[in-house]
Amino acid sequence: MTGGGEAPALQGAASGHNGGAGRRILLRPAVPLLVLLPSLVLLPLLGILPFLAHGGGLDLLCQFALAAVTPSLDPLVLRSALTGLATTVGMALLGWAASLVLGLLLGLASSRTLWRSCWGQLWPAGLIRRLLAIPRAIHELLWGLLLLQLVGLQPVVAVVAIAIPFGALVARVVADLLDGLDTGRLDALRLAGAPAPAALLTALGPPLLPGLLSYGGYRLECALRSATLLGVFGLGGLGTDLKLTLQSLEFHELWTGLWLLLAVMLALETGLGRLRRRWLMPRRLGLSRAGGGRAGVGVRAREMVLAMAALLPLSIGVAWALGVDPRALLAWQPLQGVGGSGWIDGGQLLALPWPALIGGTLALTLLAAVLAVGLPPLQLLVSAPWPPARLLVRLSWALARLWPPPLTALLLLLLLQPGVVTAALAMGLHNAGILGRLLAEALADGSPANEQALASGGVGPRLALLYGRYPAIARPYLAYGAYRADVLLRETVVVGMVGATGLGSQLLESLSSFAWDQLLALVAVYALLTLLGEELSDRVRRRLLQGA
Amino acid sequence: MARRRAVLGLIGLLASPLLAPMLPAGPLARLLAPAPAGAQQPASQPVLRIGAIPDQKPEKLNRLYPLVASELSRQLGVKVSYVPVVDYAAAVSAFRTGNLDLVWFGGLTGVQARLQKPGARVIAQRDIDVNFHSIFIANARSGIKPISQQKELVVLKGRRFTFGSESSTSGRLMPQWFLSQAGVKLSDFKGGAPGFSGSHDTTIALVSSGAYDAGVVNEQVWRTSLHDGRASREKVIPIWKSPGYPDYHWIAQGDLDARFGKGFTSKLQPAILAWRPSDPQQKQILALFGAQQFTEADAAAYGRIEQVGRQIGKIR
Repeated sequence: MTGGGEAPALQGAASGHNGGAGRRILLRPAVPLLVLLPSLVLLPLLGILPFLAHGGGLDLLCQFALAAVTPSLDPLVLRSALTGLATTVGMALLGWAASLVLGLLLGLASSRTLWRSCWGQLWPAGLIRRLLAIPRAIHELLWGLLLLQLVGLQPVVAVVAIAIPFGALVARVVADLLDGLDTGRLDALRLAGAPAPAALLTALGPPLLPGLLSYGGYRLECALRSATLLGVFGLGGLGTDLKLTLQSLEFHELWTGLWLLLAVMLALETGLGRLRRRWLMPRRLGLSRAGGGRAGVGVRAREMVLAMAALLPLSIGVAWALGVDPRALLAWQPLQGVGGSGWIDGGQLLALPWPALIGGTLALTLLAAVLAVGLPPLQLLVSAPWPPARLLVRLSWALARLWPPPLTALLLLLLLQPGVVTAALAMGLHNAGILGRLLAEALADGSPANEQALASGGVGPRLALLYGRYPAIARPYLAYGAYRADVLLRETVVVGMVGATGLGSQLLESLSSFAWDQLLALVAVYALLTLLGEELSDRVRRRLLQGA
Repeated sequence: MARRRAVLGLIGLLASPLLAPMLPAGPLARLLAPAPAGAQQPASQPVLRIGAIPDQKPEKLNRLYPLVASELSRQLGVKVSYVPVVDYAAAVSAFRTGNLDLVWFGGLTGVQARLQKPGARVIAQRDIDVNFHSIFIANARSGIKPISQQKELVVLKGRRFTFGSESSTSGRLMPQWFLSQAGVKLSDFKGGAPGFSGSHDTTIALVSSGAYDAGVVNEQVWRTSLHDGRASREKVIPIWKSPGYPDYHWIAQGDLDARFGKGFTSKLQPAILAWRPSDPQQKQILALFGAQQFTEADAAAYGRIEQVGRQIGKIR
């Protein structure tokens, strides 16, 4: 659900790598095929699925699908869905806004450039950066559930649950962006005697803005998905309605909520895309060279400032309407037994099947990541010749993004047995929806010249796409996929219930047993795994971006 | 006031647009925003917030509990509101954190709630809760036949099986206990784990459809479903009725007297015990609860539930 430091990393990867495969042909697949490599996992998967399928819930699944065209229009249902939707959007907006402020401040605090210019020291930046890895490693759902236990059912919980990990993510991106900027102008100003804060603002402010705005916009989309997910686990808003209507198999009412959410999500994505183009921001899979330090920020500066200024009354109004009261965070409710003698039951802690739990989580992450990365290019390729099919693929991506993974998993259980594969499918499909959109965006930004040349030379649409378009995006796309794997690791917690394997399932079981010691241990292991995963995916990404 | 707001807003605008999102946390927001209704303050008119574990369809809960709220409000002369929650554990947490004052808990969740909130009081249970039963059910086409003895539960090995909520007494805790006595472990089910449908109604729907071969539900919901036609014996059959155990009960916070006036708790209990089918509204409530009337409940009776809960690991 989250998206991290891809913005700065991808800028370096901008131009194509068409020549890359030339040197060591023997060992490498051709570049266009590189993108399709992960989709090879579909072959064994298709082999396994018949053994997992039981088809018992086919009736229900058909009812679910049919209900899509006949959503409930009952005024009561509509009103409840709209109220829920407003709450979800409000929580997303507040959490997002708070995360931006938090992230900007913490990002500045963890920037090496800033520390060097102002205090001549580097180590505090490194320290803060490391500390920030911890809030980032814990999924917003975990923050939400933990806060829920500490302060009770308050509207502010969801907002803070989103703001903490998102803020830490934004901080990382801000720090990376800052430290990646050319410091020539800064040094010049400093040598000329300008005080550090003024020099920093003048030299680094403008080039920082485009990357920040583009990334910030993207975080709002993530926040909407997160707020929906938090609702599924009882933190209020439309997610709660979706969960309850699905669980009670009221499919018509379920689709009422889904269609409304889809409309809002597409409107948000389109709106942000427009703004991004209007304000000349770099794309996320930035292949065009719009980004970097060059973009003309000044032209639309007034608009931007106005838009940001509008956030103030908007945030206050939303906080008011939702009853978000930060003071509620101070009223901690004691957790019965915690801190008392014997609240940590070492024997039971060690008795948890740790290797199986961790193994299950890793297997789930890998399978889901490969699926998420592999599906979209294949879907595009297969649907290339038929425009209606292409539209259908886009629609399926939108629905997959929209639908929180635990709900997909519940639906899949109507056809498949519980387990790693079912859970991985649920997560993989959701993330394929996210990656698919990025892929489409990157393709739209790239140059169509090669593809057109191939097509006019009589090559079919599929081959033209494969050889004309895919080579340029292969490496950035896969690099983004590596980053996504690390997000997925964090996300495995949300399908734990259904996966029946992995740390996530144990976590929800421990939560319903109110076993605080187990809960803490599980969160710690999760954080540790995520930190390791982040390190690993960073390396893979750097290698991919450096190219052949 | 309006002008003051405008001025403050203008100051905020000028100060820095980037500060905007932080302001809800600041003094400005405190001036601008009224205290939310849910905030726990010594309000002039305290509201009794009632809740329930979501063991059945939300649609049914939304019919039943507003009725309960209006009846209690009439009887006790205080405002009563119903707060829905998303799952069993959330009901326990909301009780512990003081978001709910009076909750209709199951056996297990009630014990969990009382352990986490010392001083909480058991108020009442239904006549049927003293000796409650679970019904194991199977899809009619699954080939599973009714059994007469507990040890025959082994027929469920290798089948797709679903419980209700993870914290359900009649839909998980006691059934798991009976299964383990018969030698059936959770990993013996097909797929290596049982499902958790979330509620009794959903278990019936999933087993009827064939999504699961078998499942287990609370007897009262099962009877009601057969009666109103939501379950049909052509699609789903009962295969075994469990021995009895104590289940659902009302639990109230220990500090109600301090908030609603002296003697409030001792008025609350007789109010619930006084519900009779002769009163039209009370009749409706009792019918939705599937009971003739409510009786006093003894906290000690749930000792057995606590014991099983500890053995299965749901109580620590």
